[in-house]
Amino acid sequence: MNLSKKKMLTLGLAVITAFGLLAAGCGGDTKKDDAKKPAAVANDGIQKIKDRGVLKVGCKVDVPKFGFKDPKTNKIEGFEIDLAKVIAKKILGDENKIDLTGVVAKTRGPLLDSGEIDLCIATFTITDERKQTYNMTSPYYEDPVGFLVKKDSGIKSIKDLNGKNIAVPQGATTRKGVQEAADKAGVKVPFSEFPTYSECKTALSAGRADAYAMDTSNLLGYIDDSTEILPDKIAPQFYGAATKKDNKALFDLVEKTFEDMKKSGEMDKLLTKWNLKK
Amino acid sequence: MATNPFAEYKWQALFTDWRLFADGLTVTIEVAIVALLVALLLGILFGVAGVFPNKNLRILNRVYVEFFQNTPLVIQVIFLYHALPHLKIILPVFAIGSLGIGIYTGAYMAEAVRSGILAIPRGQLEAGLSQGFTYFQAMQYLILPQAKKIILPSIANQGVNLIKNTSVLAMIAGGDLMYQADSWSGMNMYYGPAYIVTGLLYWLLCFPLTKYVKHLEGSSEVRS
Repeated sequence: MNLSKKKMLTLGLAVITAFGLLAAGCGGDTKKDDAKKPAAVANDGIQKIKDRGVLKVGCKVDVPKFGFKDPKTNKIEGFEIDLAKVIAKKILGDENKIDLTGVVAKTRGPLLDSGEIDLCIATFTITDERKQTYNMTSPYYEDPVGFLVKKDSGIKSIKDLNGKNIAVPQGATTRKGVQEAADKAGVKVPFSEFPTYSECKTALSAGRADAYAMDTSNLLGYIDDSTEILPDKIAPQFYGAATKKDNKALFDLVEKTFEDMKKSGEMDKLLTKWNLKK
Repeated sequence: MATNPFAEYKWQALFTDWRLFADGLTVTIEVAIVALLVALLLGILFGVAGVFPNKNLRILNRVYVEFFQNTPLVIQVIFLYHALPHLKIILPVFAIGSLGIGIYTGAYMAEAVRSGILAIPRGQLEAGLSQGFTYFQAMQYLILPQAKKIILPSIANQGVNLIKNTSVLAMIAGGDLMYQADSWSGMNMYYGPAYIVTGLLYWLLCFPLTKYVKHLEGSSEVRS
């Protein structure tokens, strides 16, 4: 008995060590890669895209007006897709040389890290925490958080939400914003997080949640006859495009392009095209 | 450095927020224990029903087993969570976890119990009956003690699956370990440490049980 206990302990420790080594190993590899790269080749990240001949962009496929896959045409369209096209034109001279990958909040980070996408333009809210891990451009859009509720629920303002269950999408910054606003209003709210937007809406319809909190532009896509958006808006969310930390060249190019577009009025034109101008 | 999913500051953030993972682990353990009890109870009841002389009970066993074994757990849980409320039945998430996963695993355990009993040669039951045992006495003194050794390892194995299956609760905001890992890493993108630690915690829960299964398998070979 004593022996088998010892054996178990040894095996347990071995596995823990293996996990540790795995983690450390991954870390080591990345560092080595960084060291190998000569500092002089600054636009390495862009050259790679040029060699490949296509810009790989992570986008939303379920947010109308921003990135939405039209079930009739099977095409992904939206304001953010147009932004991606501008970048592709700048790098490759052809706005159609983009390879779009649908992302959700949870998959954005891993896809950027693994290099599966070069650039993420997917209603990605800028936070300090995220800036530490990714390059994030200055905001190209600002959107406050709203609440979608059932019309017959009697909820008319944030104060009415006391003790009500709020559905928020996983991996979105919404929860933090709502928490802060609730603290300010002196109300307590429990949260339920769901992997996708539509599951949040399903939870609201099923009565699992009393409100669905999310960026207002997103909520507009889910509003129906029995639901309404509260007039109270909180926590403005700033969307930025993101690249991997070591692809500084691409980041600089995107940042500069967006700045130029804002100055020239091209950004406004795009916003008007998608009816997003406030 | 910063593109490394396992960067040091990400580990530090995890250790600062360890309480979230501890909460998740607690929920997972609680759900697993209740679900295990439900599964054992149903497994034994329906398993025995599967070999009962009464034909209706045997049909009941088949319906239960074939329904729950042949539909995905994910659909069953989603149904309990999103569809039942439209029929005005709102089960709390904990109940969905413990009952839903318990009933699902119970079907597998019922099969283990049934096949364990069937593995005992029919002659033994007949011998018992011919010696004046009633059906229940023969079961109690002859069949079940022998079948137990065959049944236990596979039931314990299903217990391991049950623990891992509690992770479906992450889809319905169950507050379990997987949910907390998704929620935490989705927020700050520190998915590297989050899933390593979560995997390790599940492993720590399941490993002793799999060792126990091995132990049971060994002892059943020696004694029977």
